[in-house]
Amino acid sequence: MSGAGRAAVTPTVVARRRARSPRQVALKWAFLLACIAYFVLPLLGTLLFSLRSQPFLSAFTDTLNDPQFYSSLEYSFVIGIVTIVVSIVLLVPTAFWVRLRLPRLRPIVEFVTLLPFVVPPIVLVFGLITTFSRPPLPLTGSNLGSDVLLVCAYVVLSFPYMYRAVDTGLRSMDIRSLTEASQSLGAGWLTILWRVILPNLRVALLSGSFLTLAIVVGEFTIANFLARPMFAPYLQLISGNLAYEPAAVAVISFAITWAAMGAISLLGRGSRSKIQVGGAR
Amino acid sequence: MTSDARPAPAARAGRRRLGPQWLGVVPFFAFAALFLLIPISYLVVGSFQDQQGNVTVQNYLNLSRPITASAYMASIEISFVTALLGGLLGFLLAYVVIAGGIPGPFRSGVMTFSGVASNFAGVPLALAFIFTIGRTGFVTVILREVLGLDLYGSGFTIYSKIGLEIVYLYFQLPLMVLIIAPAIDGLRRDWREAAEGMGATSYHYWRYIALPILLPSLLGSMILLFGNAFGAQATAFALTGGFINLVTILIGGQLSGDVLGDRNLAYALAMGMVAIMGVTILAYTWLTRRAERWQRS
Amino acid sequence: MRTARSVSRVAPLAAAAAILFAACSGAATSAPASESAPAGSAAAGGTDLTALVAAAKQEGGLTTIALPRSWCNYGALLDGFTAKYGIPINNLNPDGSSQQELDAITANKSNKGPAAPDVIDVGLSYGPKAVSQGLVAPYKVSTWSDIPDTAKDPDGNWYGDYYGVMAFEVNTSVVKTVPQDWSDLLTQPKNTVSLAGDPTGSNQAVSAVWAAALASGGTLDNAQPGLDFFKKMNDAGIFVPVIGKTATVASGETPIRIAWTYNALADKDSLKGNPPITVVVPKTGRLGGMYVQAISAFAPHPNAAKLWMEYLYSDEGQIAWANGYCNPIRYDAMVKANKIPADVAAKLPDSSGAALPTLAQIEAANKTITTGWPTSVGVTVK
Repeated sequence: MSGAGRAAVTPTVVARRRARSPRQVALKWAFLLACIAYFVLPLLGTLLFSLRSQPFLSAFTDTLNDPQFYSSLEYSFVIGIVTIVVSIVLLVPTAFWVRLRLPRLRPIVEFVTLLPFVVPPIVLVFGLITTFSRPPLPLTGSNLGSDVLLVCAYVVLSFPYMYRAVDTGLRSMDIRSLTEASQSLGAGWLTILWRVILPNLRVALLSGSFLTLAIVVGEFTIANFLARPMFAPYLQLISGNLAYEPAAVAVISFAITWAAMGAISLLGRGSRSKIQVGGAR
Repeated sequence: MTSDARPAPAARAGRRRLGPQWLGVVPFFAFAALFLLIPISYLVVGSFQDQQGNVTVQNYLNLSRPITASAYMASIEISFVTALLGGLLGFLLAYVVIAGGIPGPFRSGVMTFSGVASNFAGVPLALAFIFTIGRTGFVTVILREVLGLDLYGSGFTIYSKIGLEIVYLYFQLPLMVLIIAPAIDGLRRDWREAAEGMGATSYHYWRYIALPILLPSLLGSMILLFGNAFGAQATAFALTGGFINLVTILIGGQLSGDVLGDRNLAYALAMGMVAIMGVTILAYTWLTRRAERWQRS
Repeated sequence: MRTARSVSRVAPLAAAAAILFAACSGAATSAPASESAPAGSAAAGGTDLTALVAAAKQEGGLTTIALPRSWCNYGALLDGFTAKYGIPINNLNPDGSSQQELDAITANKSNKGPAAPDVIDVGLSYGPKAVSQGLVAPYKVSTWSDIPDTAKDPDGNWYGDYYGVMAFEVNTSVVKTVPQDWSDLLTQPKNTVSLAGDPTGSNQAVSAVWAAALASGGTLDNAQPGLDFFKKMNDAGIFVPVIGKTATVASGETPIRIAWTYNALADKDSLKGNPPITVVVPKTGRLGGMYVQAISAFAPHPNAAKLWMEYLYSDEGQIAWANGYCNPIRYDAMVKANKIPADVAAKLPDSSGAALPTLAQIEAANKTITTGWPTSVGVTVK
């Protein structure tokens, strides 16, 4: 679709139509098929198990007829989108600036972004509640405040993924030359970030966004203790002493999250071409 | 906004006087302080207290107990193995999909699928594998009934370290695909063409061009994978809960059990994980520096 | 109390509870304190229900924590309370643990928002722990005198609510010979038996090991034979080192699961014969596990919390628990007053002879089992 446009901005190695040896091609497809089997079979296993419910398909119809299924999913997606935006706004300038001007700070920033992995979520959420349930920032007292706290906690959880994706993206371009060239044309920092850096980070930002959305939809502990009507706590609630329904919901939510990411990916494509038009002007 | 303060030529000279440059990372550190470091401070303080709230270092001394030490070892081993395997296989998959002449829709399908799979964890993931290659899993049954291949007769079991590693790859591999994608995307086609034009073989291209460029990103991504596996708890717990001894499971047992636990010991255990992450970052920084030197040479 | 004592089916609690705190300092001998209102609210007196209802409605909500809807019929209780008083309930972390409940109170001390729990339902040993940390406020429900003295804190800080014993949940489409006692588990085919939790952190799994101890030469003071029992089962390949879930029982991966009677029976109901489940209370090793209720000292809705307690300890609430296969604490008194419908009584699993340990025994056994499991059972996955 936008193949020509992509080549204009970031030349890539896509789709080389060079002749390859049959052995190479066979190896490539064998590897791909093995990967596909590895990823599809467990999903198939879950699906097959959920189909054992009686009457046939009841595990699916019960789920799809529950309005709370949709409302919690919608809530999670909205929180997810907000988290993605905040995470990008916070991390892209940081990663850019550290790469450009403060390279010595890199290990520290990297360490901080990896901390969310090793802090047990239960410690994180109780620490947040203790801190933000009293002045000066009594966030937990209201629903809106709790949502703000939830988004902030999820932005923290997105640190490892978003930062790493953005950093890898920045590494693959020459930001120093790009920045200096833009500055010589009189561009300010905001313009540089918005017009030059962001459009070149498209793949990285998509990766980071997918990962962030997946965390938000799947995260249980924090959503739960902040008492937000999110999807993961809902799942937990209905799973109780059931066998087939949780399996059905796992399959359904996998599919829906996948579809949502497809939508983000289309969105990312759209906004990118807009930025390009701006750049051409 | 601040562009006038730092015109381009001043940039290099400004490296030494870090003063105003720091402003650029203030939002990040302020945010991290509020929503990450303050909660961690409870962890730090708690790890130096006994259950009555008195100051002690006993929790840290307890970390050297055989059971705790073996938990750290098991966690590190599983994280290392799955980071390495997930990293290599994920890189291969990403490379094949992005640069291997695969149709476009397939590529975006793989990328979005990776997004979902990278966070498919916990009970649903453990159950998915039990339904598939558990003792009564459908693949196990098919292999046995149709192909006469008895998976479990050969000594394999999913409730083992190997089994856990196979399950971990389900989120490690796609994570690698997503994280390394921008780097592969950034490999310039003209570099390869130039190399080939000069008569370089595929080996030469990889050894002298592609790998040096990718190496820092590869290392960075694998660190991420290491941390991702190191901190994982729910999946291991659901699959082999209480039977495989991982640090996160020990911590979970103390913090979230309903048998009276020692929360302060759990805090010290978590601080141990923070320290290990710190050491890993140091090692990684050192390796990246070397890699970048290699890249320049 | 050295050995498990037998108690009759009809009056399990009086006797069981007598064992319960016999060793507890002073608790058994102190007379119930006066019905005086606890600190906090004028509407607290157990008898003035109308005023309490009005005050609770004024607060407009109740926050519970760690109440799975399928556990002891809590789903019906939560809905019933809301239907009866029009007070919506926000149920936090349905699958949470006792420790998390106390942590949630601690973290939310100064929070009056939706994340702060009003009431908790915790394992017995967490009652005194919550008192020592100043996390709970005393309250005595109007049916307070029906609760055996030995199953409650004399000051009303916490009070026993229900109990069950360990049972075998058996998928009979896979298991040919249904085990009737613990020793029968040792003759099951390979890869059959699982626990419902992790014996280093889950009360349910620890209780299973302890119950096995009672059945194989151990006592309430000696849980080691339970570890030996599981080691034997593991060495024979019968034990499956995975946390048994409804799904693993149904799929046949772990056709037998050891769980509380009420959890096993709730599974049986939810699976509706697909596959068929039989719940067996083993002949020996009947270990009773009791939970206790308490109100948070920092409850944002203190009156709704009291009303919730009144509801749980009313005839209606007690029968609801019994319908969820949990032995409610007022069972004896209600039987005497002829308030238990016959069909409800018939539904309760046979837990006669259940041994209820003291707090000190619980602590000692927990220590033996949680620390001994990784080393002496040796179920270390390679």
